[in-house]
Amino acid sequence: MDNISNGLGFGASSSDPKAAVMNQVRQEAAMTNARQLIEKVNEHCFEKCVPKPGSSLSSGETTCFTQCMEKYMAAWNTVSRQYINRIQQEQGRSAGGGGIF
Amino acid sequence: MDSPSSSLQQNIDLSKLSENDKHELQQFIVNESQKARIQQSVHSLTDICWKKCVTGTIRSGKLDKNEETCAQNCVDRFLDANMTVIRHLDNMRNQS
Repeated sequence: MDNISNGLGFGASSSDPKAAVMNQVRQEAAMTNARQLIEKVNEHCFEKCVPKPGSSLSSGETTCFTQCMEKYMAAWNTVSRQYINRIQQEQGRSAGGGGIF
Repeated sequence: MDSPSSSLQQNIDLSKLSENDKHELQQFIVNESQKARIQQSVHSLTDICWKKCVTGTIRSGKLDKNEETCAQNCVDRFLDANMTVIRHLDNMRNQS
């Protein structure tokens, strides 16, 4: 799968290997994140929007998918905010704690 | 996790890195790994809390107030539960 980011032309400029490594790491991280999100959105929204698959995706189902996707991302942002708040609280209470996962 | 490094070696000449660069990169990788771990947790929490909190049919692209509160509680309670499990395991270890 890592070939996708190479294939998209995020190659390294050999003049600055440090920046090149950083860029590549950022790209890999962004790809993993996006892939994960797409996978989850598809899984959950398919469940919600296509209860009985017909011969094609109806316009109602397509609308549902668009809304569901926006909603899933809203949920993601809410969860992210709450989770990060919590991490910061725990770290404030006992320095050194933190990442359980 | 071995694929990124293999693709790195194809493209980037790491021998040109100075000692300073290496330290900076090490720190960068530590930070990025932590970010990735947090993002991973957010993905799995969203997965869990979506199932719990978004139970009706999809009517709009926004979370309604109930769903939002539910998602916030879901995160906090899941982490409480997680802490409880860890504490209990810790007790069990100390008793044996």
